[in-house]
Amino acid sequence: MVRGVLAGVRLQLILYRQYPDSFIPLMTAPLYTIIFVMIVRHGGRADLSGYAVVAPAFISLWWFALFHGGLVVNSDRWSQTLELHVAAPTSFPAVIFGRILTVTLVGQLSFVEVWLVGKYLLRTPIAIQHPGVLTATLLATAFAMAATALFMACLFVLVRNAFTMTNSISYPFYVLGGILVPVALLPGFVQPVSRLVFLSWSADLLRASLSAAPVADVGFRLAMIVLLGAAGFAVAADLMRRVVQRVRNTGELGLR
Amino acid sequence: MPDNPGEASAVVVDQVVRVFTPRRQPPVRALDNVSLTIDPGEVHGLLGPNGAGKTTLVKILSTVLLPTSGRATICGYDVVRATRQVQPLIGIVFGGERGLYTRLTARQNLEYWGALYRLPGAQVRPRANALLERVGLADKAEKRVETYSRGMKQRLHLARGLMGDARVLFLDEPTTGMDPLAARDFRRLVGELKGEGRTILLATHDMVEAETVCDRVTLIDHGRIIATETPRSLSQMMSRFQRVDVEGADTALLDEVRAIAGVMGVETEDASARIQVDTEDALRAVLKLVVDRGITAVQTSLPSLEEVYVGLIGDRGLEV
Repeated sequence: MVRGVLAGVRLQLILYRQYPDSFIPLMTAPLYTIIFVMIVRHGGRADLSGYAVVAPAFISLWWFALFHGGLVVNSDRWSQTLELHVAAPTSFPAVIFGRILTVTLVGQLSFVEVWLVGKYLLRTPIAIQHPGVLTATLLATAFAMAATALFMACLFVLVRNAFTMTNSISYPFYVLGGILVPVALLPGFVQPVSRLVFLSWSADLLRASLSAAPVADVGFRLAMIVLLGAAGFAVAADLMRRVVQRVRNTGELGLR
Repeated sequence: MPDNPGEASAVVVDQVVRVFTPRRQPPVRALDNVSLTIDPGEVHGLLGPNGAGKTTLVKILSTVLLPTSGRATICGYDVVRATRQVQPLIGIVFGGERGLYTRLTARQNLEYWGALYRLPGAQVRPRANALLERVGLADKAEKRVETYSRGMKQRLHLARGLMGDARVLFLDEPTTGMDPLAARDFRRLVGELKGEGRTILLATHDMVEAETVCDRVTLIDHGRIIATETPRSLSQMMSRFQRVDVEGADTALLDEVRAIAGVMGVETEDASARIQVDTEDALRAVLKLVVDRGITAVQTSLPSLEEVYVGLIGDRGLEV
């Protein structure tokens, strides 16, 4: 299991070196930061700069998780290495998890990047008032994001138009995750659904860690992120087993 | 513990059926009660036209596809129920461009697969180096695979399949796209692997390849096994395709030959003629006639494996 995870981590790091275009989200995140900060600043709500800075980092992280992590299995199917992975003695889900974990951790660079852009380029320093909460939130978010990406990776094996699907499901998650507009400001009927999306807990807690006010219910809110992530992992791991079994049965493993 | 501890065969395929059920199309019976046994250390050829079921059988044996019914074992382990025991024992080499990370170097590819085949960390690089040397890619080890020719990719495929030190190797059309020299080197390599005691199942279209390296060949068509024999036995089975090559026979003599019962055909080219017979009696009668008429340049021969293949499966041109 561990060997498979490590092999996946190493492969993904090598692939990142060979595909520099993979880092495009790190280039777009500062641009989104500039747009969002300018909007709140010229709207007379400089107090919302924290929201404006954090949102692009979540978009970037989501992009990494979904477009790199979620498409890991599909890209192996395209390069026709998927069958070879399934026939290898090392756990295939472990390898995929290693790759997705790497993707998610690399995606976390977005948070550092937008913070630096906010501070040095836009002169909008975002004070980290609760560094412990921030660190814990980022780690929990990475875990839950990896689970989501693993789930998507399984799902995309079953569909032929994974790219279209990837594009179309991002925006509902941006809204439900409250990454720019807090969940509390969303229409009432959306809020219960939103609470089932780990991003909404992550975004709220991350913003809270930047605020001088004490952070309420830290443990509970972190637990919700981890719980939703764990649930996602359980579903994803089971789905992965079922998907591999199904495609072995239908003979669709090597289809392109 | 193997499912069949007494199993002496490297590969056993017993009454395997595989039916594909594409959406909105009638089911396709890709394998129809296929049974096959391969001994340890044997190089076994699987010959058949496109769509015969060769790749389907290889996929079932390599655990990536489930049979609809029947049973298959590798070194006594069932490929469906004992997948984890089977996988470390096998190596797979697919033909063509597929199955490699093309932006990675050859060494990076091999080291990755070495990790997946659970090689101890300290052994991964030396083994990758040894295999790169063996397949003649040592000086290109640090080049990206996307810069490789097709033949080089094929050789890398073979090295990849050997990273796990497989006891049973499945080679699915491994020389596709190789130039004749590279294909000859590849066959030499297969001979070396056999010398190391590895069992090899070679699915191929290439008759020369099968005839050169295989101990036995199985002819398969429409998912059914037509025959399993040594290449020489198969040729002998096809004695109706025995032929007599003569030099200097005139038209009148060839007309007499055509009139002999059992002569299937006479083809001429310049002063040469090839006479095909389908019985021993016809063979004797033809030989007696041409020798009596003073022809001394006479030669009999058995058909090549290619002729056997066409004879048993039928010449269907581009039809699959």
